[in-house]
Amino acid sequence: MIHDDIKSNILTTKLEQFINWGRKNSFWPMPFGTACCGIEFMAVLAARTDLSRFGAEAIRFSPRQSDLLIVAGRISIKMMPVLIRIYEQMPEPKWVMAMGACASTGGVFDTYSVIQGIDQFIPVDVYVPGCPPRPEGVVEGLMKLQDLVGKEKLSDYDPVQAK
Amino acid sequence: MPPATILSQVKEQFPETVLAGTEFAGEQILHVKGQHILTVLTALKADGYNFLADLTAIDNLTLGGFERFVVSYHLLCHQSAERLTVKAYIPEENPSMPSVESLWKTADWQEREVFDLYGIIFEGHPNLIRIMNPDDFDGYPLRKDYPRLGRKERDDFPVVDRGIQKKNRPQ
Repeated sequence: MIHDDIKSNILTTKLEQFINWGRKNSFWPMPFGTACCGIEFMAVLAARTDLSRFGAEAIRFSPRQSDLLIVAGRISIKMMPVLIRIYEQMPEPKWVMAMGACASTGGVFDTYSVIQGIDQFIPVDVYVPGCPPRPEGVVEGLMKLQDLVGKEKLSDYDPVQAK
Repeated sequence: MPPATILSQVKEQFPETVLAGTEFAGEQILHVKGQHILTVLTALKADGYNFLADLTAIDNLTLGGFERFVVSYHLLCHQSAERLTVKAYIPEENPSMPSVESLWKTADWQEREVFDLYGIIFEGHPNLIRIMNPDDFDGYPLRKDYPRLGRKERDDFPVVDRGIQKKNRPQ
């Protein structure tokens, strides 16, 4: 009898897969909205393309409580030090989504004051094209990021480098 | 008082200061020397042009004109709803002129913006510091001889790596 109960209530898995499953289905995004992409991101969170279907609805405006930085909008030379500070304040593990053309490449703003892609200075995991992207595009990007997180190895996190 | 009348009156009042009076698209433009802008605008404000709608600058490097830099004041008379543009010309070697912050408080930030982007010094301004660019920014980016893509200021930031996340993670 006892043996049968255990059989129907226990799943075996690898620790790595279990951790990744938990991480990828429970992102805590921090929106860094500086332009129209920030407005579009609000639409992503709304009822039609509800991000809570992917477990990423707990928006936190504090970098210390979040693990996914969504850079939505153009980053000027005055804002880049702020973005770097916020990225460094986020606890590991952390991921970055560059939402829209401006965050990814500078977009049409090829001028002295606009950073031509945040990936020159901070690591970016997933790029969402568009100006601004459709909400479906952001959801696609989030699903791509879920795939990426699902394939991560625990050995990717090197405790020696962490000090 | 209609703008055409006020133009001739100001020309009479300040013959040394006024360079020209022109009309474009139905609006009167008064061209003056920059050093005397405060007296001209004080007189215009007393004549009814009580509202400073906009204050901006132009770089005449490729356009030509009386001097290289123009600070342009867009005035509005609330009583008669008439507009008047005053263009103050200042030379390249000494781009400084009196501040009109004492006449209109709104000129405070607008003069800071012109200073930030064109490097024009407004004498008597209470707080003439950069308003939009970073405080340590070098140069005046809206001048026509400033390179459009900047002087490497957009590429000059520390590069943050992935921290404890290895770089050979799956793509």
